Order: sequence, then structure tokens, then C-alpha cells
Amino acid sequence: MSRAVRVTPAPTSRLPGDEPREVDPSAAAVEPLGHGRLLVQTADGRPIRALIGEDHEATPTRPRTVEVVVDGWRFELEVEDAARADLRARATRARATGPGSGPYEVHAMIPGRVAAVAVVVGDAVTAGQTLLVVEAMKMQNELRAPRDGVVERVSVGVGETIDLGDLLVVLA
Amino acid sequence: MTSASQADRPAAASLRKDDRPPFARVLVANRGEIAVRIIRACHELGIEAVAVYSDADADSGHVRAADVAIRLGPAPPAESYLRGDAILQAARDTGAEAIHPGYGFLSERASFARAVESAGLVFVGPDSETIGALGDKLAARRLANEAGVPVVPGTLEPGAVQRADGIDALAAEGDRIGYPLLVKAAAGGGGRGMRRVTSRDELPAALAAGSAEAGAAFGDGSVYLEREVLPARHIEVQLMGDAEGSVVAVGERDCSLQRRHQKLVEEAPAPGLSDEERRELHAMAVRLGRAARLRNASTAEFLFDEDRRFWFLEVNTRLQVEHGVTELAADVDLVREQLLVAAGRPLSARILAAAENAARPTRHAIEVRLSAEDPGRNFAPAPGRIGRWRMPAGPGVRVDTAAEAGDRVPPDYDPLVAKLLVVDVDRPSAIARLGRALDEVEVTGIQTTLPFHRFVAAHDGFRAGELSTGWVAEEWDPAVGGTREKALDVAAKAAAATAGTPDTARHASPRERAEASGWSVEAREDAIDRWPR
Repeated sequence: MSRAVRVTPAPTSRLPGDEPREVDPSAAAVEPLGHGRLLVQTADGRPIRALIGEDHEATPTRPRTVEVVVDGWRFELEVEDAARADLRARATRARATGPGSGPYEVHAMIPGRVAAVAVVVGDAVTAGQTLLVVEAMKMQNELRAPRDGVVERVSVGVGETIDLGDLLVVLA
Repeated sequence: MTSASQADRPAAASLRKDDRPPFARVLVANRGEIAVRIIRACHELGIEAVAVYSDADADSGHVRAADVAIRLGPAPPAESYLRGDAILQAARDTGAEAIHPGYGFLSERASFARAVESAGLVFVGPDSETIGALGDKLAARRLANEAGVPVVPGTLEPGAVQRADGIDALAAEGDRIGYPLLVKAAAGGGGRGMRRVTSRDELPAALAAGSAEAGAAFGDGSVYLEREVLPARHIEVQLMGDAEGSVVAVGERDCSLQRRHQKLVEEAPAPGLSDEERRELHAMAVRLGRAARLRNASTAEFLFDEDRRFWFLEVNTRLQVEHGVTELAADVDLVREQLLVAAGRPLSARILAAAENAARPTRHAIEVRLSAEDPGRNFAPAPGRIGRWRMPAGPGVRVDTAAEAGDRVPPDYDPLVAKLLVVDVDRPSAIARLGRALDEVEVTGIQTTLPFHRFVAAHDGFRAGELSTGWVAEEWDPAVGGTREKALDVAAKAAAATAGTPDTARHASPRERAEASGWSVEAREDAIDRWPR
């Protein structure tokens, strides 16, 4: 008897197009190699090494999250029982006002310093328009609006240091 | 001990004297891997090394490696590594006789070199006048032009981007040069302040953004225009000169694999050049170096176009990030040479021999820059704390780094965390060795550029020597999603397998478990039963 595990890239390492994976742990051919390494058999028969890094226990708001590095790609993966993951997803959806209509929060995808703020509350913006400029590692990175909307809130100011995941702008 | 002076050193009797350390103490005005690299050279020559650091680097690798370390100030470069006054004071306080600037920061500031000279200390690099003449990219273009070295078409004077009529004048120049073109920082290097412009409409915004970035990075917002030569390879020549006026070329490097004008992979020699092309290229670079009365280490950068013509880009009057591939390919030590030349000694027999043989290389070296950047998100910065840190070793492998497990990669500086270099008898074996070395790399905690380098090492086009500055956009950008997707499949299986392992269960205390919500504890206990044995 086996129950599927839902593995979902955590918001901090999720890219567009990253979909959750359902894995049957009893069917996955995985061998421990020692020192936090696992050898994973792939469909083409070539075993690939996975490094297990930080392992964060579940909290009331977040499932257990495991850091895994494969072929140099680093993922923070939320791991939970698939059936429970469904329940959680339904609950989250129910809280939201409805798909696509609510405010859109723009979070920091890179840490750095805010070099410029191009919008103020009340501005109407179009998708692709520059909202902020973030300076990180000596490069200026323009942060653009992901969709059309009206700026409801700007949470940061020029010169402020921001961290990964910080709320920057809310679009209504 | 003072440095050996020119006058009292008879050539025949110099051998024993030259065995003595060129300096007693040298201050290294940099951080990270390059500071460690320079400290190593100092220690090999019997020189004590003084490190300087910002608050972000108080516990970092270059501080650990040095004999003495002096705090400069808070993390931002303008308040620490760019503070020439504080660095000079640190040199005086510690009795350092010379200052090695490394690359970046103050390495190409003529004003800093002049201040070092005026303080009676030795600046390890060209003299301030040469830095002024060559470090200003526009002045270098004019100098090359006068020395009969072909320069990439573009402007030769700084653009007045603050004034509307200045922008109009630049737009007219842009039409003359043709699009696409590049906005470049006169004080630039490493792609900072550079913007690609495909049409006249985009020019004003690119000028403003490039100028602002250049101003922030270098304290000088001057920009100029240059034609984008595409397809092209980026090939550069390592120059070394001494106080007696000798200037030699110690071979060339191919640095074509770039992204947003940041070099990602470098190799020496440049693949596919004939001996004759090498001689021609080295001669052009030496001509330029002599015209600028070059002393110490510099690099002349060229573009190599489809018609096999070389176009001069700029001279970097400092040690390059990628100097190690030349060291491995030519079997020399450029940093040691820099320190000896700075103390007034002539070019070593070893460097002269390497220059003599530079057109007929017998070894091949490749370097990849392991950076804290996400190749899945257009190489966006990915600073953080390093978890596991295991670097490759074994025959023909060299790793230049200051990093260790548990170190923080701060967001305040360049994202480079390690340079991984390999050398072998020829290019195919060097690539095979690179692939092996990359397989040995284990880093957690931060995303690095490792997936990109693995892709390059396994790529047929790269193996065939098909390089160009557009390679990353043409080959990597379409492939990135696929390689990441495949890794995610494997990572998901691995993550599922760790669910409830006895090993991970140990990390949670009973109290922590009780604090976690009830359902997640149940899920974990289910998972423990399913761990495959």
C-alpha cells in the first residue's frame, strides 16, 4: 500500500512553469550514498546524484521544506502527503476572492537595494512597465509589472535594502 | 627591508639579491578569491600580507588568509573597498610598502594609483599616468587609433548625456555607427554601465540607465557608443612590462562565452588561431603596450570577427579575473611577476621564454566562473549562505576561491564565488577534465552557475570550438528550461524519499513536533513507514 507524496517547488525557488510532482516513494528507486547524497535512478537508466541540504520541519503555515541540488540546480521543495496537499490547496483557494481578480502582490525575487521607484500609489500601469529598479551585485535590475493594474501600495523606498520574498508593490 | 632599486643592482650580481622578498609587507586592497590569490603569491615570496575588509566580510576567506586585517567600513563599496584614503591609512598603519589592487574596485583608478605613489608606496600595476591613458576606454581608443591598431567603430569623445542637445548629438552618431550598438562606460569594465541598443528610440533611455549604473559602479557616468560586432569572438592578450621598458605578450585568451558582457568561461590559447594570426595579434597588443609605456600586467582586448579580423576594444590596466588560464597554459605566475616587477626587477626569464613560445602553445587551459547567480532566471543574483561546499581536486585542476561552507555570499559585491580551472595537453582533454571536475562540485545553500557550466562542457558546438559572444543567447537560453525540468524530476524523487527518514526526523524535537500542526505530524509518520529499505 503506498500513498503519493506531493512535491512542490517552494515560492522562494519556484519559476514559471514549475509544476508540483506526485511521487510514489515506494516506487522511486533511490539509494542513500552517505553524507547527504542520494542516488536517483532515472527513466533512461542513468543514475543521478542528488544533494540534500537544509531540511525545515513543517510549520502551521508551511509544509516541510527540503533543499535538494541536482546537476547544480537548487530547489527548495515542499513535501507533503498528496491528499493533504489537495485539502490545503482547496482551503487556500476558498480564502481568495476569486481567481485573477484580487490584488496582485509583487515580491522581491532578488535581494538588494532599491535604486529607484518608478510608480506612486494610484498610477495605472501596463504589463511590462517598470515599477522599481533594484541594485544587486552592482547590476541594476528593472522590476516590471506582471500585469495591467493600478498601484495600490508601494512598500519600499529608494535606498532601502530588500530581502528575497519582501513585499514591494501591490497592484489592484 | 626596502625594494631593490634600479641603480644599485648590477645585472651579473643580481641573482642572489633577487632571491630576497621584493617587499616585506604588501597590502591587498580587494576581497574574495582574488585577495586570496594575491595573498598566496605574497606568502610564496616571503611577503607578509595585509587584508582590508568591510563589515560584510569581517569573517570572510581573505581575512582568514592574511597575516593582518584592517577594517575599512560598512558593506557598500563606496564606504569600504573604494575608500582610497582608508586603504592608504591602513597601509601606513601596518607598514605595508606596496598595495596590490586586484581587479575591480580601485584597480583602474589613476587617482588612487597617484595617491599611492605620492605617499611613497608602490602601486602594484602600471603607473598612474598609464592607467589614466588606458583605463579611460575612450583615451585608449584614441591611443590605439594613433598606434595603427584597428579599433571597433564608434565615438572617440564622451557623450553629454545630461543635456538634451548632447543626446541629439549622440543619436546622430548612432545613426552614423549603425544599430545595434552598445552604450559603454568610459570608466567601465565587466559590462557595468553597458547597454545594448537596437534602435534610435531606445537610445535616450539606454544612455540614462548606462550612465547611472556607471556612476554608481565607478563614480564616473561618462559613456560612449560602439558598434556591436556580431558574430564575434572576444580574444584578449596578456601583456607584461617592466620598468626598463620591455613589454611582452604572454599569449592570448578566448573569453567569448559571455552573458550581458559578463564573461562566464575563458580559455587559453584561443582555439583555432593559426600561429601567424597569433603573432599578428600579439604584435598589435605589444605595439599598443609600448605606446602607452606599459609597466606591470595589463590586458588588451580585441574582437575577432567572421572575416578573421581583430578589432581593438580596450585595455584593462590590471590583473584580469581570468589570468589563471594564462598561468596554466604558459606555466608562469603572473601575480608573482607583478610583485617582482613592482619592486623594480626586470621581466623574469620564465616570462620572456613564455612570451617567446606564445604563438606555439603546447597546453590548453579552461576556466569557468562559479557565481552566485541563477542561470534559470537570466543569471539573476542569488546571494545567500553557503551550506555544503566541496570543490574538485586531482590532476590538472585548480580552484581559486575564498569561500568555505557556512560563509555568506553578500549581495553587496560581485557574485563570483570560485574560479574552477583545468589544464591538459590539448583542448579535447582539457574539456574532458573540465567535465570531470564539474561532476565533483557540490554546493548547497546558494544557486550557482554550475548548471550552465555543465551544459557548456557537454555541448558539441563548444567541443568543436564554435565560440561567439552570442553563444549563450543562442544555445543556453533555449535549453535552460529543459535541463532544469529534468533536474526537478530527479530532485522531487529525492525529496520524496527523504520524507520521514530517521535522519531528518532526528532534527525535530518532540516540542517542535507538537508545535507543528497535527496533520503534518501524521503525514510524517505515514512517510516514515514508506521509506524504502
